[in-house]
Amino acid sequence: EPVLSKGNNCLDAAKACNLNDTCKRFRSAYITPCTSSTSNEICNKRKCHKALRLFFDKVPPKHSYGMLFCSCRDVACTERRRQTIVPVCSYEDREKPNCLNLQESCKKNYICRSRLADFFTNCQPESRSVSSCLKENYADCLLAYSGLIGTVMTPNYIDSNSLSVAPWCDCSNSGNDIDECEKFLNFFQDNTCLKNAIQAFGNGTDVNVW
Amino acid sequence: KGRRNQKGKNRGCVLTEIHLNVTDLDLGYETKEELIFWYCSGSCDEAKTTYDKILKNVTRKKKLVTDKVRQACCRPTAFDDDLSFLDNNLVYHILKKHSAKRCGCV
Repeated sequence: EPVLSKGNNCLDAAKACNLNDTCKRFRSAYITPCTSSTSNEICNKRKCHKALRLFFDKVPPKHSYGMLFCSCRDVACTERRRQTIVPVCSYEDREKPNCLNLQESCKKNYICRSRLADFFTNCQPESRSVSSCLKENYADCLLAYSGLIGTVMTPNYIDSNSLSVAPWCDCSNSGNDIDECEKFLNFFQDNTCLKNAIQAFGNGTDVNVW
Repeated sequence: KGRRNQKGKNRGCVLTEIHLNVTDLDLGYETKEELIFWYCSGSCDEAKTTYDKILKNVTRKKKLVTDKVRQACCRPTAFDDDLSFLDNNLVYHILKKHSAKRCGCV
């Protein structure tokens, strides 16, 4: 990777956030619970998730997406992007559940169930369309994706080299459901509609998102 | 956007902003993030309370042996919201009561 990067969009987005009253307030409102350890836990995950949902609900996309979907050229930038949701609290867990089991627990919760359904509807890939999305609407896909942050299905970038994302789960111990599990996981990890939507926002090429 | 002291007399004491790097604060953080720092400045010469008036009068008449007594100062009466930032080692920090929200002669 280049040592001298040509700026860092994720850093610029963080700066812009702290210069905006609303963004600054809701940002520290989730950083606080997501980084405060309790007696026997890294943090109170429930409070962290709630504050993250509030951040994406209340802060204009210009600022919230700016930090979550910023385009990067180096690791300093992608690592900052990965840290946006404070993954050590909101994302990672001691054990990685099976994705279909995680989907089951999501379906038991009203918010998670509806947001997951939105995500599958609005980020549905379609190889024959220009945008790679069946719905041809990047803004709706990004809204649905960011809506999952703060649910048990909270997704994040899985490495620093790509725009691949996944919830905290895998497909081990799937038994006969291995195909179904991989199909579910790949909808996150290998979704051209979502990747194009993130890229279009990062490059500023999709004006509809604003 | 300088919000003025509502109490009237001490018009000189006002909220002022300056755009800074977090490192300018010299609190030991290594980060490239920035902030708007709001501070209180201006004079509080207009005696506000009877206490201030007496202090002014007896000082003028040289009745006070000590010069350690102070007139009112322009200080924050409320603080701005918390500020959070990510440092160069990817650790988050939160600053509380770091920036003024309202000013007054106290």
